[in-house]
Amino acid sequence: MNRRGSAALLLLPGLAFLVFGFLAPAMGILFAAPGTDAGEIFTRLGAMLTDPYDLRIIGRTVGLGLIVTLVCLTLGFPIAYILARSTSRWAGVLLALAIFPLLLSNVVRTFGWLVILGSNGALAQLLVSLGVTDTPPQLLYTPFAIVMGLTQLFLPLAIIACYSAVSQVDAGLDDAARGLGASRRRTFWDIVVPLSLPGLVVAATLVFAGSVTAYTTPYLLGGSRQRMLSTELYSYSSVTVDWASASATAIVMTILVVLVSGISARLGRRGATA
Amino acid sequence: MNTRKPIAAALALAGYIIMLVPILFVVATAFTSGSTLRFPPEGFSLGWFDAALNYAPFTSALLTSLQLAVASTFLALAVGVPATLAIYRGALPGKGLVEGLFLSPLIIPELVVGLALYQQLIVTFRIENWPVLLLGHTALLLPYAVRVTGAALASSDVSLEEAARGLGASPLRAFFTITLPILRPGIFSAALLGFVTSFNNVPLSLLLQSRESRTLPITMLDYVQQSYDPMIAATSTLILAATVVIAVIAERTVGFAKIFGGINR
Repeated sequence: MNRRGSAALLLLPGLAFLVFGFLAPAMGILFAAPGTDAGEIFTRLGAMLTDPYDLRIIGRTVGLGLIVTLVCLTLGFPIAYILARSTSRWAGVLLALAIFPLLLSNVVRTFGWLVILGSNGALAQLLVSLGVTDTPPQLLYTPFAIVMGLTQLFLPLAIIACYSAVSQVDAGLDDAARGLGASRRRTFWDIVVPLSLPGLVVAATLVFAGSVTAYTTPYLLGGSRQRMLSTELYSYSSVTVDWASASATAIVMTILVVLVSGISARLGRRGATA
Repeated sequence: MNTRKPIAAALALAGYIIMLVPILFVVATAFTSGSTLRFPPEGFSLGWFDAALNYAPFTSALLTSLQLAVASTFLALAVGVPATLAIYRGALPGKGLVEGLFLSPLIIPELVVGLALYQQLIVTFRIENWPVLLLGHTALLLPYAVRVTGAALASSDVSLEEAARGLGASPLRAFFTITLPILRPGIFSAALLGFVTSFNNVPLSLLLQSRESRTLPITMLDYVQQSYDPMIAATSTLILAATVVIAVIAERTVGFAKIFGGINR
């Protein structure tokens, strides 16, 4: 058999899996939800983009996604920078400690916040005993809770992406800038940050896409008060069994992620040629 | 760790606190002798671990999750590794397109894939939940299999195999003596990543599960809705302990920075 033939044969099982187990059903969401037709789904999609209730959920999802992205970059880049530039033997341990949570279930990671943010939780008790407030504040089921939970989940991804970017920036450039009289701050902002920009773009994309599609965290920490696209999609499909709305929500969610991935791929390309 | 960069150090510290402190709280509350999920724990007891290990919905869900994770990882590698060979070694037209196709499950949100499989296969075609769950998890793990083993293959020298063939080795012999050893660390990484990903998955399994095939993370989420007791903390701590063991094995064998590096390219 020729090489092309054998390559096709090797690909066949994987392609079959992808087509029947993924691509074909995914297309079905647009055109063939059970007992629904494409027209109905697109009508619902149009209504979603004007209905105040739906718009609030889309706005909350995008808004919290942006905040989480900002927080993850603000906390993750310094960690990546310190670890990548450190010569201490502890750097390896700290890096492992940052990456380890990725192996751990989101469910397990998110449960901790229930103990911390619950109505009699540790943080509320602390705030009362410090005299910040008189009554335990409502922390759970707030946007704050969701931001904390999502930051915990996606910070490791931001750190890995930033770490590999900073590692590729020659530490000699830092020294050169410093030697030429640049301040520490100037070196950081004028040398390190611009050169690791492609990594920052990757980190931002991963965190944003993860945040706007995450289910466990908004479910546990946002509850029914802070609904997001993911929790709406679940309740449309298993509580109210409203297929048109479920499909429309799925389409909005997918467009958000694909849009952001597309923009970041474009930014990455520009960064590479600049 | 570096006092000359106070702002960066403070931000880094905040990051570590947010990542790790909630996990510590879970562990601390698991050992309580009290009956609520609160901190500080009231007294010390292993009772909640005992309760968790004897709670039938958790143990049967654990079995389901393990079976699903092992089966989907195996299937994803069984169809993914040959595809990787075709993409990185075969004379394939439209190589980029094919690779993109194999990575596509990473782009569509898992919840959306779950909804699609639920609507199309379970509701419309009345296929049983378990095979659909397996199909979905396998599709989800395929990008990992292709990308992580592909990274191992891409960084190796193709002339090694050509040399083996030139010296008269049959294609099969060349594969088993040259290519497979090159692929081994990649396959190991992909298997580990696949297992962990499937075992922990919520969004994809959420709509596809049934009473007979309910995975552990979803059973835990359901449980929290009904009662808010430390059994959930004990179960989580057991999962944490198992995950630490996996992490140590991963670190000793391949190094998990490298494992995750493969998927985030």
